[in-house]
This record gives sequence, structure tokens and C-alpha cells, in this order.
Amino acid sequence: MRENVYILAIESSCDDTSAAVSCNKKILSNIVATQEIHKKYGGVVPELASRDHQKNIVPVVDAALKNARISLSQIQAIAFTRGPGLMGSLLVGASFAKSLALACRLPLIEVNHMKAHIMAHFIEGEKKEPDFPFLCLTVSGGHTQLVIVRDYYTFELVGETQDDAVGEAFDKAAKILGLPYPGGPLIDAYAEKGDAQKYRFPISNMPHYDYSFSGIKTAFLYFIQEQTKQNPLFVQENMADICASYQACLTDSLLKKMMEAARQYRIKTLCIAGGVSANSLLRKRLQALEETQNYRIFIPPFAYCTDNAAMIAISAYFKYLKKDFCSLQVAPLPRLEIK
Amino acid sequence: MEELLFCTDIQLHHLNKIAQDIASNIQPPCVVLFKGEMGSGKTTFIKELCKQLGVKETMSSPSFSIVNEYQSGSKEKIYHIDLYRLTSIEECLDIGIEEYLYSRNYCFIEWPQLIEPILPTVFFTVSIKKEQDHTRTLLFSKSS
Repeated sequence: MRENVYILAIESSCDDTSAAVSCNKKILSNIVATQEIHKKYGGVVPELASRDHQKNIVPVVDAALKNARISLSQIQAIAFTRGPGLMGSLLVGASFAKSLALACRLPLIEVNHMKAHIMAHFIEGEKKEPDFPFLCLTVSGGHTQLVIVRDYYTFELVGETQDDAVGEAFDKAAKILGLPYPGGPLIDAYAEKGDAQKYRFPISNMPHYDYSFSGIKTAFLYFIQEQTKQNPLFVQENMADICASYQACLTDSLLKKMMEAARQYRIKTLCIAGGVSANSLLRKRLQALEETQNYRIFIPPFAYCTDNAAMIAISAYFKYLKKDFCSLQVAPLPRLEIK
Repeated sequence: MEELLFCTDIQLHHLNKIAQDIASNIQPPCVVLFKGEMGSGKTTFIKELCKQLGVKETMSSPSFSIVNEYQSGSKEKIYHIDLYRLTSIEECLDIGIEEYLYSRNYCFIEWPQLIEPILPTVFFTVSIKKEQDHTRTLLFSKSS
């Protein structure tokens, strides 16, 4: 039998500082600063700052080890997010991971954030693992990608957004409607009671399996401005229908390309990953494909949709099995690509 | 002092020509601010400008990532920054905005209003205005 592998993973690519401890494919603890540390320190941890990452990283790592009931001496490797992300934020996690690896004489593992979102599907839990090959739609505030995953190590990018990410299309529409940031979840909530057929918004059709969401955002803005001119209360009176229609257009566009790619590459297993995979319509529409079209559908648990270190830990575990370690010279790459 | 370098209507078919004109007016180090309301085409125009500067990568919106970094055809760095999500100058300083502003590279900034107090003495501004009939006017100016 194989020995247990304990990994400490750190994720700091954007707003949230996060640390996780894993044992093989199991997650023993997964701490995200914006939620857990609040409770502990009573204060509000402001979003988005490398200086905040610096402040958070020690307590977050500490909490991850404590919650896992694992001491640093039991850890066998340190993993960190190399990119993509915000340089200042990535640097904090990378420097911390390197220092710790050096001090504890542990191997260091660099992880691609976008692959990690997908790898979250392999975290041991109630859900079964997707079978290879599968097609994954990774959707978040910063990314929209279609990726074919052939095995734990082989990723093939088949399409991505050429401008705005779908999460941005949600958030900016929410702003136009006067909703607070991040507005995606609010649009989802309003949409539940709305009529999705009431309005149509044009979606740019990109070649191949690429996406574009900048045009629909502009069309949405013009539409709201036009309607508000005629009826200043238009938004208030039709909030649910506007949200439902807009959400349906975005979801249609996401799924249309995904299905085209699935047919073209003859893939019957479909997954979603990333923050926007928390969207209820996207989940519902995908789930429906399982019944109507005989696809196998995999949706990660909510906790592993948004940025978290658990997905970095599971990615690192598979790299550990291959002894795929990196040197202390490895630098973060804000625009690291998926390959 | 603000000096208007040119003012032009934007039509999609000559977007590359306008971008070319602007590209020939700037060289690093330079800070270019992009102003205009949401949906006016700031990101689209920066993509065209980067193409004129020889960028080969896919350029996507940095609204979420805040900063995207590209490389021009002559290997200079281009920072594409979007401060849309930030709410105070402190947050801008926290992401290290000064290091980008004074980095001696190209610095293209969308939603720059928050950082006006800390801009270098010389910078350029591209303003995109949407007219009543949905056409757009672009103003390019230099402050020194």
C-alpha cells in the first residue's frame, strides 16, 4: 500500500488568501481568508490587496494546519499557485511557499490556477470522479474556457473568451441595474422569479469554440438606457424578467459552444468549474442534458467552485505522484497559459 | 497643460487606422488613460492599439484580474490595467499601482479616475464619447 501524502497548498492569485492541507485525495482543511478569518478576528478583511495577502497568509496557513490536526513536520510537500493571477498577489503566495519549502527542506510544487479549477473534480468526497476524456467549461469573473482533459496531466484548450469573461458580463450588467458588486449571484437570485423569454440580447457568434461577452454587455446597457428613457421605473418594475432573460442568453451562449465542442470531439462527459459554475440556471440546464441527451455531467461542490487552496492541493497531489517538483527559482506568471 | 492632439469619429473599419496614429505618438515610458462610459469600447480600442504595437497573445478584459501584461513586437512590456473594481486610492496603492505607473513601460489604464492625484507629470488621455445616434467620437490628448 502506498504511504499517505500530506500536502500544504497556498492559493493567492486574486482576492482571497487560502491555504489547505490534504492527505492524498482527501482535503483535511481548506481555509479562505475572506470567510474564516473574519470570524476569528472580528474585523472585516478588505478585498484584494497583496498587502492583505501578506497580513493573512500566516494566520491562514496556521489555521489550515490546526484544523487538519497536522503538524508542519508531517507535511511532505508545499504547493502554490504560479498563475494566472494578479502579480502582487501571486508573489506573496509564491514567496511564502518557497521560504517555507526552503526552511523545512521540502519539495515545492507549482500549480496552474486554471487547471486546478478543473482538478477540483478529483477531490475525494460524495461525488464520483469524472471519467476521461471530459470536456470542462471553466467559468469565472476572469475566465471563460473550454478545455478537454485527457488524463490527470493532459489539458487541451479548445476555446476561450476573446474579451470579457462571462462572470464580468454578469457583474457589469448587475452594475447597470444598480446592484452591488459582485452582482452575478444577485442576478441569479432575481432571475428565479422572472420570465426568461421576455427579452432577447444578441450574443456575438465567434469562430470555432471561442466566446465573446463584451457585445452583449453593451447591448444590455443600450437596452436599459432606451427603456429607462421611456419609463424611468423600467428596471424596478421588470427586475426579475430582465435578470432571467439576460441570464438565459448568457447560459445559452455558454452551452451552445460547449455542446458543439462535445459533438465535434465526441465527448460524452461534461464538467463545469470556476465561480460561475455556482449559477443555478447553468447547473440546471447541464443537469437536464444528463436525462435528455445521455451525457454524464459533473458539477463540483459549491465550496470548490470559487478560488480555494483545496484545488491547489489536489493538483499538487497528482504532480507529487510523478515527482514533478519545481526549483526555488520558479517565478509567478500572471498570464500563465493552460497547456 | 492639456493639449488636444486629435479628435475623430470612430467607425469600425478604420479603428486600426486611429490605433496606428496613436501608436505612432507614444513610446515607453508612457501612461495612457482611457475614459468613456461602460460599453463605449475602451477595451476593444486597447486591443486594437496593442495589435498595432505587435502584441500576438489573446487580449482579454482585465476588469477581474486588474492588470494584464502583454509583450509588444519590439519586446517592450505593456500593462493593461482596469481599475473598475477598485473603490479607493488606497486599494490602488495596495495592488502596487505606482510600480506600474513608474515602470518605464507602456501603461494603458481604464477607469483611471481614482489615481489622478498620483499620475506622472506627462501622460496621454484617450476619451471615447458615445453620441446620441450611437456613433462614437475619440479625443486624444497629452497632459504635461
